[in-house]
Amino acid sequence: MNWGVEQFARAVGLAQSGGGLVPRGTRVDVFEQIFWLFLALGTLVGAVVIGYMLYNAYKYRDGDARADPDRSTRVGELPGGGDGGRKLFYSFGASTLIVISLVAWSYGTLLYVEQDVPSEAEGIEVEVVGYRFGWDFVYPNGHTANALRVPRNETVQLSVTSRDVFHTFGIPELRVKTDSIPGQYTSSWFRAEETATYRARCFELCGAGHSYMTAEVIVMEPAEYEAWYANTTGEAGSEAIGARDEDRIGAPATPGGPATVAARGVVG
Amino acid sequence: MSAETDSGGDHGLPDSSTITRWLVTTNHKDVGILYTVTALFFLVFGGVLALLMRIQLWTPGAGFLEAVSYNQAVSAHGLIMVFWFLSPFAFGFANYVVPLQIGARDLAFPRLNALSYWLYLFSGLLFAVSFFQGATFAGGWTMYAPLNVPVYTPDIGASTAVLALVLFVVSVTVSSVNFLTSMHRMRAEGLTLRRMPIFSWTILLTVWMMLFAFAALLAALLILSSDRLLGTQYFAATGAGGSLLWAHLFWFFGHPEVYIVFFPALGVMAECFQTFTGQRLVGRKWFIAAMVLVALQSFVVWMHHMFLTSINLEIKTLFMATTIGISLPFDLMVFALIYTLIKGRIRFTTPFLFSFGALVLFIIGGITGVFLGAVVLDYEFRGTYWVVAHFHYVMVGGVTALFGGLYYWFPKMTGKMYDEFLGKLHFGLYFVGFNLLYFPMFLSWETPRRDFVYPEAFVSWHQLSTVGGFVLGISFLVMFYNLAKSLVAGEAADDNPWAFSTTTEWALPSPPPIENFPGVPTFASGALEFRSAEAGDRSAVEIADGGGEPAPDGGPAHAAGTDAADHEEDHASPWPLAVGVASFVLLLGLSGLQRGGFPSGVEGGFYVATTGVGLAALGWTLVRLARERFVGPSGPFGESWPFEAVENTKLGVWIFLASDVVLFGAFIGSYVFIRVAHGWTDWHELVPEAHVVTPGLVNTYLLLTSSFAVVVALVAAERESRWGLVGSLGLTFGLGVAFLVNKAMEWQHLFHVHGETFANGWVPSTNVAASTFYLTTGLHGLHVIGGLCIALYLVARAWNGAYLDDERSIEYFGLYWHFVDIVWLFLFPLFYIL
Repeated sequence: MNWGVEQFARAVGLAQSGGGLVPRGTRVDVFEQIFWLFLALGTLVGAVVIGYMLYNAYKYRDGDARADPDRSTRVGELPGGGDGGRKLFYSFGASTLIVISLVAWSYGTLLYVEQDVPSEAEGIEVEVVGYRFGWDFVYPNGHTANALRVPRNETVQLSVTSRDVFHTFGIPELRVKTDSIPGQYTSSWFRAEETATYRARCFELCGAGHSYMTAEVIVMEPAEYEAWYANTTGEAGSEAIGARDEDRIGAPATPGGPATVAARGVVG
Repeated sequence: MSAETDSGGDHGLPDSSTITRWLVTTNHKDVGILYTVTALFFLVFGGVLALLMRIQLWTPGAGFLEAVSYNQAVSAHGLIMVFWFLSPFAFGFANYVVPLQIGARDLAFPRLNALSYWLYLFSGLLFAVSFFQGATFAGGWTMYAPLNVPVYTPDIGASTAVLALVLFVVSVTVSSVNFLTSMHRMRAEGLTLRRMPIFSWTILLTVWMMLFAFAALLAALLILSSDRLLGTQYFAATGAGGSLLWAHLFWFFGHPEVYIVFFPALGVMAECFQTFTGQRLVGRKWFIAAMVLVALQSFVVWMHHMFLTSINLEIKTLFMATTIGISLPFDLMVFALIYTLIKGRIRFTTPFLFSFGALVLFIIGGITGVFLGAVVLDYEFRGTYWVVAHFHYVMVGGVTALFGGLYYWFPKMTGKMYDEFLGKLHFGLYFVGFNLLYFPMFLSWETPRRDFVYPEAFVSWHQLSTVGGFVLGISFLVMFYNLAKSLVAGEAADDNPWAFSTTTEWALPSPPPIENFPGVPTFASGALEFRSAEAGDRSAVEIADGGGEPAPDGGPAHAAGTDAADHEEDHASPWPLAVGVASFVLLLGLSGLQRGGFPSGVEGGFYVATTGVGLAALGWTLVRLARERFVGPSGPFGESWPFEAVENTKLGVWIFLASDVVLFGAFIGSYVFIRVAHGWTDWHELVPEAHVVTPGLVNTYLLLTSSFAVVVALVAAERESRWGLVGSLGLTFGLGVAFLVNKAMEWQHLFHVHGETFANGWVPSTNVAASTFYLTTGLHGLHVIGGLCIALYLVARAWNGAYLDDERSIEYFGLYWHFVDIVWLFLFPLFYIL
């Protein structure tokens, strides 16, 4: 678990030396920082509490040497409470303090993620439309593609909806996720720091092709991206990548029986 | 199962070795055993489905199951485990133990209790049938819209699964009314609410939550059934708000459901911790207060399941706060259980091991839940195995305690001791299997949920999970072997096989006799005593079990008390089973409906015939149930706070109406939600000019007048005026019929409107405005029809001179009828004026 320790050290380091207490940065950064701190504290608390349980269970195990409890319970008595109320409240208070401070701390990041979207670099906006079983990415000029191409180090604003059922759009490696709901628009953002190819996928059960409802996310050098974008047009430029062509067959505008059959074909 | 103590023909009950006994019994202990055994059957059913999934997940993208089959397995596993296993398993114990703990000879309405069981069983069988009608529902246990409508899940089996859930919810509602009435009205003297044993407390809070949460689910399911069967448009993808509406309705039920399944487990844990440490629960009153707080607060946390939908930041913040708030009382409960260990004398019996293990698992489940409470983390965990692992640690953690409960009460329920070695072996395999199965899911948490294609990096974790799943499954073979062997050849169990147990069931023989107690149980002196019946001045006033229409369509019509003062209580009735069969047949027939019509050909003929037979059978069996003479447990009862002055049946009617308020509230809320999403004022474009106020206004007058007629009927009954009673009840009936006729004419007119915008008439499937109008007022119309059936029954009996010496049935019918009128007073402005 060296990797974990490293991550944790980085998380704590960033939390202290970065922009104050509240984690900032890309979504990957803030997730890592919060997650590792939660994990460390959660493991600690869990180990202490479960350890304490086991210790007491062992210590007070029944044996020949143990006498009956001071005030043995007996059948037919009215239920009453045992001793130890004060200790109960101390522990309760301590756990409350831990939980509330952790969540309050993460709330600062929620505000940051929701409101202070980083805008150092000029960003781009893309509309994401989910359908059974694939994704359309619609650029401001009307260009529609099945792969999401974005420039490195720029903020990508996503506006997500669905053409048919409830989906959830997510790119796990970039820690971005939002529901894709028919008749509704949700928004989210991300920023990729390296040129690479990632995989976006659906996170809400949407039918037979759910497991295969993926799309490529291609992070490009900004200059390269600009060149590519300049060559796209709204009308003819719709590109489809590899196997995604087949999926589009399985997603007619009016889904129903045939869609299901087609989807079975894709999967089987 | 309890053959030795029950002689043949005991209280009209056949011997327990006969099959007939188990078909006609209404005794709470028998019903408890039926629930337990049936729930274990569904555990195996859901468990096998889970193992199929685990086999599929052995490698990413395996072809063991087709995608559609995998989705069916995922969905059915969730539905079966949550609905047909978890709660019913707990309610097996609740049925058996709660009346014993509170000192009641049975539940308030024994036949309704049997009815709950049979509806539960047949709803489960109906679900099983759905696999053979094309395919069962394959949209996940959360049934998100619009995947749940026939456009995307077209199989008849999917409709059957939804109808099976409807029947299950009816069973739960009947059961909740029964438990609430019993627990509030029928406690032993001296057993105030505050002094009630902790297991009974958990059940009391569970049924309160059930009453309201399941009413919201019923609304969601009825709307969904209507979308599937009649073609209404609530959840269609074309609407702006349908998808979110389902999420709101489902999670308004869904979050309290978490506590509904977990509370009984908490109760078992608390009982086992007390018994096997010989200590009293530390901070008992705070423990109870924490549970009450959770029960209330559970209704204001549902949107934390929707953090990634389009709800705004303010609402997210609010629900984050309530969510964190509801987790804190559990900290207190966990610490209370742990501190109960201290200075105790802990005996590691099988029930204690399971309870102790359950607490360990719940702590892990709770801590990983805090992660989800932090919204920023929730954003990433949504739809991943982190969620899967977390809620299995919580819910199956609870199940762990319930298995402790099974071993704990097994000697009481059967009179036989289980094999302790095999019990411990079961626990060992179970605990290892559980953690092998679910813990790797935290490590492979980036696996998308309900997905069988996952990153290669997680293969070994998933294979570990699969191995764990089979170890867990094998542990149950040990359990079944143990229980079967012990049942046949186990040692006879004492009254109280556990030292230091406290609750009343352990003061009774194992198993207890059919009448439960050797006398009237009382805690007046500060400890349990049995007063002899004679000294107790027990007047056996006959109070009939609520007959007539059972929930949800009618308040129980009261069968009049008679003069058979020394008549013993009844424990057998064939009619609950018959109603269960009839409901099953009816819903099986209705499942064939799509867009308001049956399929053509032989298949359609089958569904039409089945519907007809089912409808006739349901009517007939309900009348027979109402006509049957049945003597249930009678007062006076010891403690009835806060309902000393409210008779059992009346309280039952009130409680049922409370759940009905939530049902209509959810329907009205859905209408408002969809209308707001569409645009409040644009709504008029969806409604034809022909939809005018007049028919609604006329119906308002008709219903108000009919309410007045019921009041007159009650006065006539009090004055023992037979013909006054018949006349005013007849007037009520006539006005109700006029209401329906007027409505039918109005609908007929709207179905056939012509015009540019509505060329094909204005029918339920025309648009969402038509859907909300027809469905909401239609639900009200069904309530009117149910009321009229009861009214007709009352008129017939009044004609023969009934109710003159006991007008309570008229009064209870009046409560229901007035309620139906009040609902109309809300619907009229909403659907005709605004």
